[in-house]
Amino acid sequence: MVVDAGLGLIAVGAGLAVGLAGIGTGLGQKDVGAAAVGAITEDMSLFGKCIVLIVLPETIVIFGLVVAILCMFVLPGMGS
Amino acid sequence: MLLPEPMSRIVIVGNKSRLDQAIDALYELKLIHLIDHTVGTDEGFSIGSSRPYTEKASERLLSLKAAEKELGIKADDENDDVMSVKDVHAKITSNCTESITGAVFKVLDKKNAVVQKITEERLKKEDLSKIAGIPVDIDLYRGYDSVAVMVGSVKADPTSALSVIADSELFVSGKAGKKDETRTIALFVKKSERDNAVRILTDFEYTEIPLPTGTGPVNAAIAEADANIVAFNTELGEVEKELASLKEKHHDDILVLDEELSINEAKGSLPLRIAASEFSFVIDAWVPTKNVAAVIAGMDKKMDGNIYTEVQEDRSRSLHDVEHAEPRFKETPTQMKHGPYVKNFEHPVKLLSAPKYHEIDPTVVLSIFFPLFFGFMVGDIGYAIPFIILGLFGLKTAKHKDFRAIATVLFFGGIWAFIFGFFMFGEMFGIHFIGHNAYPTDPNALAYTWETLLNVTFPDWFHVFPGIAHPGEGISKLYDVSFLLKISIYIGIMHIFIGYALGFANIRMQHGTKEAFFEKGGWMMSFVGIVLFCWGLTDVLISGASFLDTIVMIKVIAAIVLIVVGTVVTMKKEGAQAIMELPSLMGNILSYARLTAIGMSKAGMALAFNYIALIMMAGAGPIGIVPAAIVFVVGHLMIWTLAILSAGLHALRLQYVEMMSKFYVGGGKEYEPLEIKRKNTKIVETEV
Repeated sequence: MVVDAGLGLIAVGAGLAVGLAGIGTGLGQKDVGAAAVGAITEDMSLFGKCIVLIVLPETIVIFGLVVAILCMFVLPGMGS
Repeated sequence: MLLPEPMSRIVIVGNKSRLDQAIDALYELKLIHLIDHTVGTDEGFSIGSSRPYTEKASERLLSLKAAEKELGIKADDENDDVMSVKDVHAKITSNCTESITGAVFKVLDKKNAVVQKITEERLKKEDLSKIAGIPVDIDLYRGYDSVAVMVGSVKADPTSALSVIADSELFVSGKAGKKDETRTIALFVKKSERDNAVRILTDFEYTEIPLPTGTGPVNAAIAEADANIVAFNTELGEVEKELASLKEKHHDDILVLDEELSINEAKGSLPLRIAASEFSFVIDAWVPTKNVAAVIAGMDKKMDGNIYTEVQEDRSRSLHDVEHAEPRFKETPTQMKHGPYVKNFEHPVKLLSAPKYHEIDPTVVLSIFFPLFFGFMVGDIGYAIPFIILGLFGLKTAKHKDFRAIATVLFFGGIWAFIFGFFMFGEMFGIHFIGHNAYPTDPNALAYTWETLLNVTFPDWFHVFPGIAHPGEGISKLYDVSFLLKISIYIGIMHIFIGYALGFANIRMQHGTKEAFFEKGGWMMSFVGIVLFCWGLTDVLISGASFLDTIVMIKVIAAIVLIVVGTVVTMKKEGAQAIMELPSLMGNILSYARLTAIGMSKAGMALAFNYIALIMMAGAGPIGIVPAAIVFVVGHLMIWTLAILSAGLHALRLQYVEMMSKFYVGGGKEYEPLEIKRKNTKIVETEV
């Protein structure tokens, strides 16, 4: 089996991009989510606003995802 | 459609002697949104006083509500028959409320007394069981002239420490030998030695227990308390049965009385919200502009002409007109006006907050893009059909507005998912069934074409997606990621731009074109600039074009000019924040990559399950058919369930965060006309 070390490194990089960004998002969302659940228990009308706040950290993982997609689908093409 | 219902402010003036008639008329019209009167705004007027019958009604309602709570009756409980208002009034005047609540409270008093007795016996038993280990009869604890008796708990055995006190008798209960174990002691000492004993016991963390009362051995007293508790519990059971039979007997009456008394109270306390002078009353109210004529005519008819109704203003959307209005007239209630389809999406908007009267109602935009994004992310007819069925079922049966909103998204989102799943992706349960040549590594791909499936001929353009090398074979979520990513970003740019455009329209309507240009126009320029800049950047970084390429140069220079001009314009209004917010625009656009990502993740999971079930298990021969079916069903059910959460929530988030934040403020007050909803009572025609 022929192993292309370059492709392997790209895959590892893509994995790291999504994985690390995911951890960051998780850390951010953990705090916001806990506070938001508390707020919603107090006042149900805050639901919409809480959703908006909870999803803010998600942007980070989307960045990670975009980088990963670029790694997987664009980088190999550039080499050839 | 895009704006809430236009409203007019009216004023209704009448003679106080006809106030009751007027209140009935206001409620019957079901169009009057009352404006609360503020003290001191009109000379000679003060807040009215509640109608004479209100006090009695409130009093009855209060005791009725208390009885309801104790009996466990809820106001929205089912009622078997509907009573006519005339009968209810007869019941109220014959003191039916009092007799019901009297009976209920009498039994409740009985119940409380029994509960009290049970608690007392329990406490007594608890105290007794503490000294149960001490072999002294209860009567021996009391009645001495020269002996002090001390009973209490200690942390350790104090026998040796207490041996210094002469002529004392100590009983210790609790396990011997164990340290740090709480034990009970009973100490009999001379009265003169009491202080000494207390001092010694303090070191053992002595806590006093009250001396028991009664006679005979402790165990017998405990047994007696137990017997009492059993007896009282039986009594409690009987009292509760009595309560249950009361509930059964009066259930319907209570509901009916509650409804009618609540209505009486609401009507009777209405004058507390309006202005009144010695002989007249004045009511300010909001009414939808289209209904003004009906309201004036209706009031006239119901009051036999003895009322004066006048339109004060047709409220405009410009905030300048509102600036000088009295504080109580500043806020205009919002009534969304939508057709049957868009109406379904009012709930998600209200979840965030209801629109203000002076702003564009985002429901229409939401109703277009929310299901569209949901469908794009699901994009598989295998999941779409169950979504459509479930959504249809929900719309037919669900009553709660949360579930109705979910059913709406599932149904319309499911339709979009079918369209995308069939005509764009050509996928069912992750199996790509349109064409297979482009995906030689996908073992599950099938080779149908749209023409053979539908038995029609499509024009050539139908098969050609720009930038796709394999026309006529659909788009694979896992192989054409770059293409999907591009589409997602384009959708995002358009979506956000619509948000800005609506924001521009909002400010233009509220403050005028100049203000709108400074507040939103600058952002729009910066946004277009950022888009151009990123376009140029991808040309260089991904497509490998040179920075000195003319087209790239034009894009980048135009981008920089737009960004700089846009930022300068925005800075006039928002200061340095305009610069800080620039990168977040890029974040907003890239956020739409989730449209691709969620589709990809579903396709990826489906591919894995299909490979396990269809290739590995089913491929192993007849023995593998059953496990293959199980894996296939469970796997796809999981993906399908996750789709509700991931696709639904992310589609909603893109509306809330990326688009609506560009124009929507919300926080409006909803239009709530005076209206009486009868459920358990009805007005019979002959009474009116």
